[in-house]
Amino acid sequence: MIRRLLCLALVLLAFPAFAKDELVIAMNQAPGTLNPIISSMLAKSLIINMTERPVTAYDSTWKVVCMVCTVLPTLDNGRARVVDLPDGKRGMEIDIELKPLMWGDGVPLTAKDYEFTIEVGKNPKSGVSSSEAFRRILRFDIHDDRHFTMTVDRVTFDYNVFDIMALPAHIEKPIFEADPASYRNKTAYDTQPANAGLAFGPYRIVELVPGSRIALEANPTWAGDKPHFRRIVVKIIESTAALEANLLSGNVDYVFGELGLTLDQALAFDKRHGDRYDVIYKPALIYEHIDVKLDNPLLADRRVRQAILMAVDRKAICDKLFEGKQPVADSDVSPLDPMHASATPHYAYDPPAAMKLLNEAGFPPNATGMRFDGERRPFSIELTTTAGNRVRELVAQVIQSQLRQVGIELRLKPEPPRVFSDQLNHRRFSGLAMYAWVEAPQGVPRSTMHSEEIPSEKNGWSGQNYPGYANPAMDRALDQAERELDEGKRRRLFAEIQRLYAEDLPVLPLFFRVDPFVIPKQLMGVVPTGNLNSSTLWVEQWRWQD
Amino acid sequence: MRSSTPRQLIWRRFRRHRLARASLVFLAGLLVLSLAAPLIARLRGIDPTLTDLLIRFAPPSPQHWLGTDDLGRDLFQRLLDGGRVSLLVGLAGALLSALLGAVIGVVAGYTGGRLDSAVMRFTDGVIALPLLPLLIVIAAVDPAKLGIPAELAHAESFSVWRIIVIVALTGWTTAARLVRAETLSLKARDFVRAAQALGAGPWRIMFRHILPNAMGSLTIATTMSAGTLILLESTLSFLGLGTQPPAASWGNMLTGAQELLQEAPVLALWPGLLIFLTVIAFYFVGDGLQDAIDPRAERR
Amino acid sequence: MTRTLAARLVEIAVTLILMSAVVYLLIGLMPGDPIDMMIAGDPHMTSADAARLRALYGIDKPLLQRYLAWASQAVQGNFGYSRSFGLPVLSVLGPRLLNTLELAGLAFVLSVAIALPLGIWTAAQPRSKADYLINLGCFAGISAPPFWLALLLITLFAVKLGWLPAGGMADLRPGTSPGEAIVQKLRFALLPVVTLALVQLGSYTRFMRGAMIEVLRQDYIRTARAKGVPERAVLWRHAFRNALAPVLTILALSFGGLVSGALITETMFAWPGMGKAIYQAILDNDYNLALVGLLAATFATVLGNLLADLAYAWVDPRVSFAQ
Repeated sequence: MIRRLLCLALVLLAFPAFAKDELVIAMNQAPGTLNPIISSMLAKSLIINMTERPVTAYDSTWKVVCMVCTVLPTLDNGRARVVDLPDGKRGMEIDIELKPLMWGDGVPLTAKDYEFTIEVGKNPKSGVSSSEAFRRILRFDIHDDRHFTMTVDRVTFDYNVFDIMALPAHIEKPIFEADPASYRNKTAYDTQPANAGLAFGPYRIVELVPGSRIALEANPTWAGDKPHFRRIVVKIIESTAALEANLLSGNVDYVFGELGLTLDQALAFDKRHGDRYDVIYKPALIYEHIDVKLDNPLLADRRVRQAILMAVDRKAICDKLFEGKQPVADSDVSPLDPMHASATPHYAYDPPAAMKLLNEAGFPPNATGMRFDGERRPFSIELTTTAGNRVRELVAQVIQSQLRQVGIELRLKPEPPRVFSDQLNHRRFSGLAMYAWVEAPQGVPRSTMHSEEIPSEKNGWSGQNYPGYANPAMDRALDQAERELDEGKRRRLFAEIQRLYAEDLPVLPLFFRVDPFVIPKQLMGVVPTGNLNSSTLWVEQWRWQD
Repeated sequence: MRSSTPRQLIWRRFRRHRLARASLVFLAGLLVLSLAAPLIARLRGIDPTLTDLLIRFAPPSPQHWLGTDDLGRDLFQRLLDGGRVSLLVGLAGALLSALLGAVIGVVAGYTGGRLDSAVMRFTDGVIALPLLPLLIVIAAVDPAKLGIPAELAHAESFSVWRIIVIVALTGWTTAARLVRAETLSLKARDFVRAAQALGAGPWRIMFRHILPNAMGSLTIATTMSAGTLILLESTLSFLGLGTQPPAASWGNMLTGAQELLQEAPVLALWPGLLIFLTVIAFYFVGDGLQDAIDPRAERR
Repeated sequence: MTRTLAARLVEIAVTLILMSAVVYLLIGLMPGDPIDMMIAGDPHMTSADAARLRALYGIDKPLLQRYLAWASQAVQGNFGYSRSFGLPVLSVLGPRLLNTLELAGLAFVLSVAIALPLGIWTAAQPRSKADYLINLGCFAGISAPPFWLALLLITLFAVKLGWLPAGGMADLRPGTSPGEAIVQKLRFALLPVVTLALVQLGSYTRFMRGAMIEVLRQDYIRTARAKGVPERAVLWRHAFRNALAPVLTILALSFGGLVSGALITETMFAWPGMGKAIYQAILDNDYNLALVGLLAATFATVLGNLLADLAYAWVDPRVSFAQ
């Protein structure tokens, strides 16, 4: 018996350790429904991007690349054309050729799947969260299984961005046609998540425990690069303290950068465990800013807004709270965006200049240093933020403290996210509102800056121009930029938009948030993108090297 | 030889309970320190709300007795400010719920009959509800939708008073049951019969004759409930539904400390320790009162 | 006044109905709606989308109408769909309830296993040094904030020592042996169970002690002692058997506080249980899930009270099932 055990031990020792073929990942939020078009949660897209791919996506250099199409349609290669529409307006025709891909149950991915998806997207009863991308498609012409042409109703420079995820018509169509209104509750993505036919990507879901765990395995029908991990388990751990402890103890191998540790935690990892982990700080397209209620008489004067911005030491906040990792913003365009104009006016920290501007604007200080307006009322404004976001609360408190130094009283009002969004949507905040926008690369800020997008009772509270900014020059630049196909001209229009933004300051830019990626040194191939298309779109490149 | 008044007897018996004595001293000290916090800050030359990003997470020093927190604010001052909130919520909440409960209990017990059984059913119903989830729902309600004007809702002190009302809504049931039980037993006593015979109205009997005799057990219960309410407030603040930052509360100081377990675990130690000590102090004082007022009850 | 079993059951039904109305109202008083929050996270969503979704989910209708619609479905057994999970509410809450039972059950067993002997032992020697110290410990258990305890345990055992995982549940692969499965499950359950047990231990021990003191004063104990039965036998055989009633009482009553008590522990340790599900649902404005979860928790509490009374009547035939 002892000899047998010894032999076994020797045999085990002689063999090299098995290459790690299973990866355990954690994230701090549960995906809701897994249907790709019904809602757009980040937690869900992290998972779905492993089982399916959109037609096109932005890669880590923020260029549009083909995921499911073979060649990116452009005006140059003729696969995209500007056409006249029957109603006299101009639109575009886009030709798409699909790669030969197959759903996990052997059924090929065809144009019919996209036709069906668009039909669901346009149906008002289906529960799709964002139907704009679908409604703009006027015609869908199928040439054969892998070739189709879409006609869209407008000419925009981002004509070849299609992040539509296909629904498998052979599974979902019967469910949808039985009753479109209850489709969102009966979709196979939630009722049979382990159905192989729901995935054509490198992985398919094999087990789903709602709110707890999702297990994926390599999909044999995937025609692209073979993934290195045979099995991936995604655990949902909704407490950042628990996430961190699990990562340290090795219970999970990796925590998704897009939805995992906070910046503070990542900084701590860098300092204490830099030998075991690489930490990448990729600025994301999450724009932290302060909306200014331009109706407030105290804030109506441009000089006041400029003074407020100059009174806050954004660079020091960035250096001290974020160790310099979150770049200061000068407008809503990220410094990494190709359309970023470096000539945009920048406001450095300058309290004396701020105080001078405040004096000029008619708000002199009294004996204690605090300022008053013409009618002896104190210069006191309110800053609402979303409660529960620790970093935002910290920044708010620093701003309060620094504004006091120039004589402005800032009252902090943290609200639960629901109260906050409600107030914002109805323009009920009285002074300043601090929060973050998620943006798309090269996004034109029409809904936030155009005068037609100011929410009011009259227009049913539609639009996101919460400051109430109305500048004809800005309106013109916005309208033209959307439609300008020539890159050089577009760049000039974007520069104009940024200049007006920075001069008028309807919004006080703070910084662009960073998604910290804490990657164990053995995990190779994870490339943070910094935009909404997550790193799992390239999961087949990830591998483990001991 | 002078005989001692009942009050003196109670006090003497209370003093014999060592832990209760020590707890009373602790609570008194905490109260004094918290109320004097602004003065202490001025004497030390510290602005408790000033954020100084250059001295985040500083270790204890002569300048900052317990070091600084994640915004460079003096930790000792923040703890004192948090103590003010906790003590205010605990004491005011306990008093409010005792008041509410006592009135309900004495009226129900004295009136008897259908009113009594209806009130008792209602009380049983409230006790049956799952406490914390319900409190969370109540705390998350939007004051504007209740018709409270925005001016009032935005005042700094509003969130504290809101919490006091919310936690008091849970505590009244104990007081109500207690006072009702006492009322039932006192109702049949001679002095009540005498007062009735003399023509005293029911309200007078309830509030001049019955309630004062229930004071003993009511005081004990109220003291204990102060401890429980402090725990409740800190839990709600921890979840982000109670006292909102930048106002300091021991509960919300722990919320932020969660993410800093690696960086500065000491930030998680102090607020929790103070909650623990304050709550247990209230319980000990209550226990001591129990011994002093009602030594026959074989509870100790 | 006797309240028969039937009357109690009717009361329970009435309580639940009232509860459902009150909670629906309260959730309706919460600010904003889930669609507002969707807009913030999705740069492509327009206000037209928001209006369409509000109409689709019925959020734009008046509260009373929505409540009546829900209620009429609920009595037929259809509790609706959870908006945040995209699944029927019952299929979300079912597994969660099991997880909470697992956690609370283990904690209950652990704390009773310690509280029972401790309570009996200290009851036998009141006012002794040991009694004093243990009483102190009990007070400490009741006073410590559970979320602080959880943080301390996580810091010590998970962050500093790295012995135990801090949160989540065991991920069992198909094909794991039962022995291995149990070990894994216990590893993940240890810290949350200990946290929960520590909190309950204090009150259970005091309860047991009080009950035992009552029992020890009974006549039959004096008779046993007078008959010369050794003290130990008196304690453990006679008194212990009669301690059954209080244990049953604690069991039934804590049944009710199940969800509340576990809420914080589940949230701190990311244990996917009922308490956490309810908390999350309230914050996410997932009406159906929050409402049904709260009703389930209320039902558990009133059921627990009923069972406690029944248990007492069963164990002690002198007590009739009357108030």
